[in-house]
Amino acid sequence: MSNTPHSAASRPLRFITCGSVDDGKSTLIGRLLYDSKALMIDQLESLANSSKTARGPQSKEGQLDLSLVTDGLEAEREQGITIDVAYRYFATPKRKFIIADAPGHEQYTRNMVTGASKSDVAVVLIDVMKLDFSQPAVTLLPQTKRHTAFAALLGLQHTVVAVNKMDAIDFDASRFERVVTAFGELAASLKIKHFTAIPLSALDGDGVVAHTARSAWFQGPALLPHLESLVLDDAHGTSATAKAHVAVQWVTRDVSDDHLRWVTGDVAEAAIKVGDAISVFPSGATAVVAALRTGRGDTTTAEPGEAVAIRFDRQVDIARGDWIMAGSVSDTPLTQRASATLAWLDNAPLTLGRRYIVRHGARWLPARVSAISSRLDLASAEWQTGDGAGAEVKANDLVRAEIEFAQALPLAAFAESAARGAFVLVDPGTNATAAAGMIQ
Amino acid sequence: MTARDAFLSAPTITQTSVSNDHLNWLEDEAISILREVFGGFERPAILCSCGKDSLVVLHLAMKAAAPGKLPLPIVHIDTGHNFPEVITFREHLVKKHGLNLIIGHLDDSIKKGTIRLAHELESRNPYQTITLLETIEGNRFDAMVGGARRDEEKARAKERVFSHRDSFGQWQPRAQRPELWNLYNTRIAQGENFRVFPISNWTELDIWNYIAREDIELPSIYYTHQREVIERNGLLVPVTEITPPRAGETVITRDVRFRTVGDISCTCPVASTASSADEVILETITATASERGATRMDDRANDAAMERRKKEGYF
Repeated sequence: MSNTPHSAASRPLRFITCGSVDDGKSTLIGRLLYDSKALMIDQLESLANSSKTARGPQSKEGQLDLSLVTDGLEAEREQGITIDVAYRYFATPKRKFIIADAPGHEQYTRNMVTGASKSDVAVVLIDVMKLDFSQPAVTLLPQTKRHTAFAALLGLQHTVVAVNKMDAIDFDASRFERVVTAFGELAASLKIKHFTAIPLSALDGDGVVAHTARSAWFQGPALLPHLESLVLDDAHGTSATAKAHVAVQWVTRDVSDDHLRWVTGDVAEAAIKVGDAISVFPSGATAVVAALRTGRGDTTTAEPGEAVAIRFDRQVDIARGDWIMAGSVSDTPLTQRASATLAWLDNAPLTLGRRYIVRHGARWLPARVSAISSRLDLASAEWQTGDGAGAEVKANDLVRAEIEFAQALPLAAFAESAARGAFVLVDPGTNATAAAGMIQ
Repeated sequence: MTARDAFLSAPTITQTSVSNDHLNWLEDEAISILREVFGGFERPAILCSCGKDSLVVLHLAMKAAAPGKLPLPIVHIDTGHNFPEVITFREHLVKKHGLNLIIGHLDDSIKKGTIRLAHELESRNPYQTITLLETIEGNRFDAMVGGARRDEEKARAKERVFSHRDSFGQWQPRAQRPELWNLYNTRIAQGENFRVFPISNWTELDIWNYIAREDIELPSIYYTHQREVIERNGLLVPVTEITPPRAGETVITRDVRFRTVGDISCTCPVASTASSADEVILETITATASERGATRMDDRANDAAMERRKKEGYF
């Protein structure tokens, strides 16, 4: 057993399949599960039965319709579409995977965002049949751009472009290259540093587990070996000088000893150690870490990502919603107004100046959005600050906004700390989750 | 070659082991979710059928609470049609850990008239939901922790970790709240509640590896034992007072174990000689049928059986 409790190399790789409707997301997942033998006999037989009656749009005569593996709701099977994100699990001898199969329809983008927020890798499917190759430049579908933009803003570590349905264009290398060029432009404007494009046929299996004679011209990896080889960096974005932060979830008392108080939460940004000096938000109290516990028992160090219980060397006034911050009070600046990217999810549009409820860490507090500074234009994939920026913010819009919290918080830029940089905005009337927020 | 033959003859590239680090990752995720429940709700409880998944959840909950005391009761929905080994185990567990056990009796719902059976020996499984909802209302629970896993079934694969239920306990699969990072939106209106699933991301193989690693005690029927059964529709149906043999059926004695533990009228064992968690793991790696597919009569009704039950308030 290694020293790190769950190093990025050994935890499951979580990826989301995204892209437009009928680009073959569900078929690709069915293919991965089928080829890795993650399907069981009864599931396969149920699939064989369903394939005879309900046919997905991509199915060929006499073949199993692999897209039916993931569509789990009655309405989805009836309509042949994916409405909500489905999670599937499979493993190879090299790695375990958690797949989030996201819906392609624009109206269900909020469900794609749900899956993306807990993913490491975005696998963006592009259906070559839907692209127009008669013009000099290939234009990607709006939903491809939208999903790619959401994935980029949510900070997914890797982007893989699965150029699908290559079987329908005889695995034409030149058209594949033109799709790669088009995606490269999108990636550049969304500041995606690196992506890997792979030509494949989810339906027939070429390029999924291995390349075949038809795709032999392609020098890169097939999808599954590529996913197996991706290196995850959970300290992504955090600097060497980062200090531990713990959002307090729950406080309990020791049953055995003198009813000592233990404070629980997830470690973020850097390890916390016995002997560390800490300060508490918002009280400003200071203390020293006297003891630490994880699921594995007593320890002297807890790493980022570990769920920890902490005892201090003295009585400290602390409750759910507070933060434990390594170092002194002045090490973590407090901010009340910030610029943030908002992914609007609710059907009810944003009302500027309205009092919303925000969850930041484990703390709930009121907040209001005071102004919209720019919005992402999907056609150009650029942030526009002109007249359009101030228009109504509706479901599936991505905007940059000025937000004011009811109190100063230990905020951080999302790129530096997901724990302190992310928040959700909730409608206080309906309790609907209105937006995902990321501090800039 | 049929699809089934092609599938079986394909070279296997599936996993053969689960790493310790991977189990730590799953353990931390579950502990964190459980502490959200401990800290974020007024009246939470853990649903415990004494099946292996709920026992893993209970084990994780005790770790999440340690070194403090488990801060919530456990709830058993008792259909009255139980395997006796499970009830013996339940009493043992309560004594060993000093648990606060609340039992929702299906028989009480029958007495009240909220459940009417078509006949005495009808499967009580479909009626569990009514007793569950009555138990939630009666105790004013606002969060019920359950051991459902997304790899079990298609509808469960779609469910959030914090699954919002309206005041009738209904799941609305087409209008689920977005769930972002670990910033769970746990806000509810009066009378509503959440079902919370800390082991959503665990597979059957993860569960058994964790049971082996942590030495988690299970009811004896999870391991091999001799039992009188009938072979019916490809399932081994246990012979009990509630499930007697039908005319013309032959009762045989087989070495079996249960993969899931539910109501006696709808849970079937599989042929097995596995006498420890490690031996079950070996069998699980080579299993060709899914857990519920091999053992549950209730899910066989049709593709959407689970979804419909969940919409009505099943956990």
